[in-house]
Amino acid sequence: MSSVVKVVQPSGILDGIKANQLRREISDVVASGATTVLIDLTDVTFMDSSGLSALVSALKMVRTAGGKLYLCSINDQVKMVFELTRMDRVFDTFSNRNDFNAAIANLEP
Amino acid sequence: MIFFKTARRQFPSDLYLLDEVLSWFNQIHESFIPAKVWSQCQLALAEGFTNAVRHAHKDYSAEVPIEIEVTILAEYLELRIWDRGLPLDLPTKLQQMQENTNERAEGGRGLIILFKMADTLTYSRTEDDRNCLLFVKRFAEEE
Repeated sequence: MSSVVKVVQPSGILDGIKANQLRREISDVVASGATTVLIDLTDVTFMDSSGLSALVSALKMVRTAGGKLYLCSINDQVKMVFELTRMDRVFDTFSNRNDFNAAIANLEP
Repeated sequence: MIFFKTARRQFPSDLYLLDEVLSWFNQIHESFIPAKVWSQCQLALAEGFTNAVRHAHKDYSAEVPIEIEVTILAEYLELRIWDRGLPLDLPTKLQQMQENTNERAEGGRGLIILFKMADTLTYSRTEDDRNCLLFVKRFAEEE
């Protein structure tokens, strides 16, 4: 069984407005059959607690569908939000897209 | 060092304006403020503003203003956000949130984030029947 990898890449300020958009995108990729979802945060300049809530929703949606969710390219500001809320333990993260690709390649020879 | 700078502005109650609120705040920035502290102040402003829009002004139209005042002194920053919502007892609310929030909860982390970052955090009723959120952050590292 091969897994379907999908990447979602939000940009700008990940706040309440973008949070809803992100939830819809994740819902769509899960519905399309993705079993491994990467949220690439390279282009996110700032995240608040609503943005964090959307990431938690994304994690739930992907897991409920039996898939895995990963994050990559987290900047210092996003890291700070994770640490303040102790959510850094909850997400599987990679420092960048290459590291994620390498790890996924190893999982599926 | 003696330093004093203050800026005040009103914004409509609209979540779409967060970008504008943060841009306004960044114009007040002073280079002597440590980057980590500034980042926490930006987050405090975002949480305070969106809380006012989302909760205090939940049943109000967007025209009802939220007033923001930032004061930078030599050793700390004061952020004040006034809303026209109902009164709320912050210590009680915070206690409820800390008891109820678990890892999987999707919301309710804004106030906790504010509380964790602040050196002082109060939410008080003003004489003109508004609420004022006060967030104070010292520039020196803790300890």
